[in-house]
Parts: sequence; C-alpha cells; structure tokens
Amino acid sequence: MLVGTVVGNVWASVKDPTLEGLRMLVVQPFTTGDESAETIVAVDPLGAGVGERVLVVFGRAARHCIGKGHDVGFQTAVSAIIDRMDLEDGRTIGPVRAEDTER
Amino acid sequence: MFLGRVIGEVWATRKVADLEGHRLLVVEALDAGDDPAAPMVTPVVAADPMGAGVGEEVLVAFGKAARVACGGDGDYALEAAVVGIVDSHQLAKEGSS
Repeated sequence: MLVGTVVGNVWASVKDPTLEGLRMLVVQPFTTGDESAETIVAVDPLGAGVGERVLVVFGRAARHCIGKGHDVGFQTAVSAIIDRMDLEDGRTIGPVRAEDTER
Repeated sequence: MFLGRVIGEVWATRKVADLEGHRLLVVEALDAGDDPAAPMVTPVVAADPMGAGVGEEVLVAFGKAARVACGGDGDYALEAAVVGIVDSHQLAKEGSS
C-alpha cells in the first residue's frame, strides 16, 4: 500500500468489459525525497477528487476493494482518502497539498 | 518481506470497510536512500496489528501473509502489514567480508 496524490482522471471507451463503470484516477505516489513524476492508475470506489491524498492498494486486495470478483482487468485501487499523515521528520501531510505543514 | 523503519502514521475517515480499526503506519525500507543515484523513496503503508511505534524497526510482509497477520483471509482490502518488531539486526556493509 502507498500514499499518493490524485493528479488526474482517465477515461477510455474501448476497454476490457470488467472495467465498465469504474472510475479511474491517475495517482502520484508520495516520496520522502525529491518528488517523483511517476504516476500510477488506480480504480476508485470512494469518489476521491483531484488534489486529494489517497491510500492505494494492489493485487488481490485491490480487486476485493471493488467487489467484482477476481477475474477483472485491474490490480490497483483506492482504499481510503487520507485525512492526515504525520512523519517523524516533523512534517504533517494533509488531505491536500495546500494543507501540508513543515516541522 | 522487508526490514523497515516506521517513519510515520496515517489516518483516514473515508475508507473501505476492511480498513476499519486498523492502525496504518508509514514504513521506509532500511536500505532505502542508500543509493546516491536514487535518493527518492516511496514509503510503504502497512497495517499494524503489533503496536509498533514511530522510529522502531519492523518486519513488513506483503500479500496473503499480511492479510492473515491482520486476521483476514484471501479477501481482505490490504496487502502490507507489520508482522514483527525487530529487537536487533546485523547487516554486512558493502565491501566487508
């Protein structure tokens, strides 16, 4: 599992039928050092919006989050919308970037 | 499974039902950041049934092992969990015999 920031949405008309009706988000993983430009795509059952911090889960756990069984065409899902993350270096990561605080 | 250090804690109100009642810790691999060419680290979020604290070294397991450690089975919405709090460890440094 990892924490990330929702940076976008994805729409696709031509797709595996098991993706029908699922919301897909582009998520940028949180890093402790320099920010990564790398992103992942996660199916979202909770309705997270762009800018929000989310918890992303992988594999069987992700398929279970969506509840459509395990023969489906995705393996990454949003399992929570983060309220707050406290780090030992004194930083507090908020629900959105604007609410982050330094030590 | 990997050896990590707890660097923080996460809270979420809106979440899938399976995460209810689970403490979520932010864990950084002990060897993370050792590579000067790749100082960027994506910490893992792990459920914690053991009661580890920030700053402690922990063993983190993935997949079904993590779900079982948290009292779930195959169908459970998490895939990383603290399965041990490390008392001590020894690592051979690069270049040593």
